[in-house]
Amino acid sequence: MGMKKVSITFSFITLLFYLTLIFSLLSFISKDRFFEILFSERTLFSIKLSMTAAFVAVLLSFIIALPAAYALSRYEFFGKNFVDLILELPMIVSPAALGAILLLFFYNNLGTWIQGNIQQFVFTFYGIILAQFTTILGITIRMIKNGFDEIPSRYENAARTLGASSFQAFRSVSLPLCRRSILSTLIFAWAKAVGEFGATITLAGTMAMRTETLPVAIFMRLSVADIQGAVVLITILLAIGLFVLFIVRQVIGGKSNASN
Amino acid sequence: MFSSKKSIIFKKTTLILSILTLSIGIALTGCSKSTATNKDNTTQKSLLVYAGAASKPPTEEAAKAFEKETGIRVDLIFGGSGTVLSQMELSKKGDLYFPGSSDFMEKAIQKKLVYPKTESRIVYLVNSINVQKGNPKNIHSLKDLTKPGIKIAIANPETVCVGLYATEIIDKTFTDQEKESFKKNLLNYTESCDKTATAISLKTVDAVIGWSVFQDWDPAKIENIPLKQNEIQRIGYIPIAVSTFSENKKLAQQFIDFLNSKEGKSIFKKYKYFATPEEATKYVGVKKPVGGEYKLNEEWINIGK
Repeated sequence: MGMKKVSITFSFITLLFYLTLIFSLLSFISKDRFFEILFSERTLFSIKLSMTAAFVAVLLSFIIALPAAYALSRYEFFGKNFVDLILELPMIVSPAALGAILLLFFYNNLGTWIQGNIQQFVFTFYGIILAQFTTILGITIRMIKNGFDEIPSRYENAARTLGASSFQAFRSVSLPLCRRSILSTLIFAWAKAVGEFGATITLAGTMAMRTETLPVAIFMRLSVADIQGAVVLITILLAIGLFVLFIVRQVIGGKSNASN
Repeated sequence: MFSSKKSIIFKKTTLILSILTLSIGIALTGCSKSTATNKDNTTQKSLLVYAGAASKPPTEEAAKAFEKETGIRVDLIFGGSGTVLSQMELSKKGDLYFPGSSDFMEKAIQKKLVYPKTESRIVYLVNSINVQKGNPKNIHSLKDLTKPGIKIAIANPETVCVGLYATEIIDKTFTDQEKESFKKNLLNYTESCDKTATAISLKTVDAVIGWSVFQDWDPAKIENIPLKQNEIQRIGYIPIAVSTFSENKKLAQQFIDFLNSKEGKSIFKKYKYFATPEEATKYVGVKKPVGGEYKLNEEWINIGK
């Protein structure tokens, strides 16, 4: 067997693995229950809430990640290693632990002051955004940095010798070259934010029509041993997530390095 | 010719994969409908207990004491009462179900996951207002929770028993106006019984309506403000029952008997649970119904709007 057949087999094994898991859900779904839950005001609110919060979280993390990733990729500066090291923090600690860390922050003086004078985060919509943002910021920087790393800095240097400022060189050379890797990073970050659960439930609570995101709603269904209800919501989350990702990928038009 | 050979290989692969996927799908769907067999197995020397996380410390201690006395190992799986019930239902395993409250036992009975006749009440609970140690916000009564600027949380009344009890207290004690003020102060619902206590420990909110036992879980940070006799609506209890998946009902019953023995009760007493309904009644001061049902008012679900 050639490399092609072996590698294609493995890619299909992946597909089969996930399809098997999805199939195992089907036995629990009843059609009536599915539509009843899907079109309830509460579920529609959860869907809207999850999508909106994830969008804002991705936007905020992008605003910080783009310059930060560029700095880490292009410049040497004091403390760079520490910045680089901390990026994986949200991946190392479990999501629930991350939520606990955030809660403990708001327990301290600075956190209490922020909540009292700037914005209440704990148990509010802003808590969801903060939880998702904390989860994805590090990995967004890491992935965008990897994109910049692959663009040789001599391209920018060439632009500079032609009279471009450092910002112009970044904007007209590196940024367009990194476009695809940045977009795929943002898609990844969005998907991760939509599915975020552990930090969100700990920081933002579970109130329906206020902070009940789809993953939180799934957990709450399981908490009352409503397996059917949980499965319906899982299917909805899965369908929306995959649909959005599919559409975005079509719009961006991701190409691989396939030769035939 | 080469490309037609390729397309045949591709078609074959797709066909094989489709058949494989379908058969797995059918197999999985079929599997989930099989039922577990209940048989007595006298060689078994361990018990599997699905337990609500809220009573973790005394349950662990009781399990150790039981093992020491009988030599029978007790494996405990902790989680939210509903979550562990789902786990028990899906895994079709387990000897005992020990939820944090009575409503989940009702669910287990409805789903035929436990033997109703084996249900036994182990400890009793009484509602209380819980505030931060030292009572910095000067909360002395239920009415004080309606004062502007007080931050409140209760457990999610749809999923957690103590949350449902809290809404009943508010529904039956407050006037419409007081209720509105209370709801304005209500920041959110916590996901579980223990997280309700944590909301006070971490100063996330100023007050919760929880159980009196919360104070004893974290005496350095939590203080009780007792409710008045007329405000308390009912006494909660924690039940246990033998699972229909148990392969050794006698052994499972033995564990229930141990929890009900003087030794078992004393362990829960150490953690300030009430061992009998009489003890709980004495704490309240008047007789109140033990357990029973209360239908959640829809307004508590739509409150977030």
